[in-house]
Amino acid sequence: MTTQLPKVGIYGFTGCAGDQLMILNCEDQLVDLLGAVDMRSFVMAKSDNPEGPLDIAFIEGSISTEEQVNRIKEIRERSKVLIAIGTCACHGGPQAMKLEEGGYEDRFKAVYGDAKITISKPFEAQPVDAFVKVDMYIPGCPIDKGEFLGAVTKLVAGRHPYQYKFPVCMECRWKENPCILYAGRFCGGPLTKAGCGAVCPSHNLPCVGCWGPTDDLNISSEYALLKEKGYKPEEILTKIKKFGGANVAKLVKDIEKKGAKK
Amino acid sequence: MRELNVEALARVEGDGGITVTLEGKKVKSVTLDVHEGPRLIEQLVKGMTPADDLTVIPRICAICTLSHRYAAIRGLEKALGVVPPEKAQLTRDLMMLGENVESNSLHTFMLALPDFLGYPSAIAMLADYGEDVKRALRLKKFGNHVMAVTSGRIVHGENPIIGGFGKYPTKKALDEIKAKSKELIPDAIRDVELFASLKYPTYSEAKMVFMSVNAPNKLYGFAGDTILISNGKEASAEDYKTLTNERVVTHSFAKRSLYQDKTFTVGANARMINMAKRLDGQAADMFEKYYDETWLANPLKNNLAQAIEMLWSLEHIPEACRKVASLDDPPIAKPTKENGSGTGAVEAPRGTLYHHYEIKNGLIELADIITPTAQNLDDIEKHMKLCAERMLAEDKKDEEVRLGLEMVARAYDPCISCATHLVTLKRI
Repeated sequence: MTTQLPKVGIYGFTGCAGDQLMILNCEDQLVDLLGAVDMRSFVMAKSDNPEGPLDIAFIEGSISTEEQVNRIKEIRERSKVLIAIGTCACHGGPQAMKLEEGGYEDRFKAVYGDAKITISKPFEAQPVDAFVKVDMYIPGCPIDKGEFLGAVTKLVAGRHPYQYKFPVCMECRWKENPCILYAGRFCGGPLTKAGCGAVCPSHNLPCVGCWGPTDDLNISSEYALLKEKGYKPEEILTKIKKFGGANVAKLVKDIEKKGAKK
Repeated sequence: MRELNVEALARVEGDGGITVTLEGKKVKSVTLDVHEGPRLIEQLVKGMTPADDLTVIPRICAICTLSHRYAAIRGLEKALGVVPPEKAQLTRDLMMLGENVESNSLHTFMLALPDFLGYPSAIAMLADYGEDVKRALRLKKFGNHVMAVTSGRIVHGENPIIGGFGKYPTKKALDEIKAKSKELIPDAIRDVELFASLKYPTYSEAKMVFMSVNAPNKLYGFAGDTILISNGKEASAEDYKTLTNERVVTHSFAKRSLYQDKTFTVGANARMINMAKRLDGQAADMFEKYYDETWLANPLKNNLAQAIEMLWSLEHIPEACRKVASLDDPPIAKPTKENGSGTGAVEAPRGTLYHHYEIKNGLIELADIITPTAQNLDDIEKHMKLCAERMLAEDKKDEEVRLGLEMVARAYDPCISCATHLVTLKRI
């Protein structure tokens, strides 16, 4: 075999490291996975991390310091394909839930007081695509093993990975879960991207929206479903922007502007 | 005196470093710098409902996600006057056992062991130590499985809620776990023996003070309402502020803790030392066999403590499963009040974790979270400084000093050890 293995780097920014951990959690596939790629950089798992040109960079976490802005730009420059993994990288994650409301300085002061932290200049977290071009998004909080491994397998074979273009509600139907909304409880399922296997509704719990907003074309009628159940736009926003951050806020505002079906 | 609200951003798995400043041969300072961007989670949950808070705060850390969730549940249930049903309590105990196996196997093998054996990673160890690595992966997978069965997902499971569980594990799933845990006990014993056979460098040794929760009923465990200190004192978890005294330092986005102006240690070693007499089964035999007074001074012994603790957890999973399966699913316990405060203390694999909440009119008025790594940081720096001084006095090469310091930092299982991948030696 003269074919070179694709050079891969896995990088963590501001988040909980859950997506990198999910890669390490692929216990049964980890050895094969590491054999199918040339893993150049994976700081969470190893000490030898030679940096250089990459075929694929997987980016976890949101961007929240100036140092990170420089770092993500540098990684982008030397990567053919850059993939955002996890809801923080794709949408900013919980730390970006108040992105559009402002007030970051006050919150920072409430935590650190007047102490001058010299290490780097922090700011309200933003998704990776606020700073560099992202070629593909694999959301999830954390990512799903199957979705990640499926994507890597396709990429290694030079194919384009499959993307879920529908909301969690679809997965609930496949699982024949009783509908949480119809039982009179709020559920983020209609607006949330599928991929988790409707795990929360399968435990009789409402979808918390941790995969971020769905890009289903039918979004406005799903939104209308929530309104039909009596939930107000502010309520819907507060509930699901915890993970989808500014992108969810934007989605809801866009739908409202266009005039959601009553 | 000024009071601070501290954000639990002490997770350092993403981005941190160690800086040693030297003047000639004299070590001027050793700092563990946390560069990880701040998220201000405690501020973001203000005004949320307790249920919404509970979905956000586990995202502080993926590795101890269930510890965060459980600490929050304990604090919130106290604040809201919720008495969890017995089955909920037992299922929570089981999920903590799972997390302990998962995290301790990940840390001991994937993060700590390669240093002792001279490899850059567990991946690089595969050729020479394939069986050991695969054994660790089996244990980790099993720990993950217990977490998934109890919490709904391997990482960030939403199933544990205030007052109980969305859905309790099925008898079939519990029986499977029970059988599997028994099968894995020989693996865990081999791990203890492997870690007992390692050579633990002594450069960082100095008398340590240990803090951990006091598990109820004089049993070993991972949650409690009072805190044990190795100087013989005991304090209420509600006094967490006096115990931990958090403060800001300028070289880091993570905060620091001191107890009575001195550094202290939390983690598996602290638990074993404070609750030694409560260990039972083969874990107790192993502890007796391998414990010596160096545990009281050498932070590196935490690796061995984690291996023994993992065995203890595995040995207790069958009984935990039996108890959970013996009870019918209870309804979810409801809040009895809308105003109140409460502190939840649990033992995350890497040490004591506090979640303190104040609730007003059913909404979060204040959240204060103190993570184990934030408590350990000062202690890590203290032992790293000793290590650097003693190694340099012996004219060790920079490369050796770097590794020595990384091993000290990693031994504390900071969340997670790559915080210390960048050691810079500054000679001025």
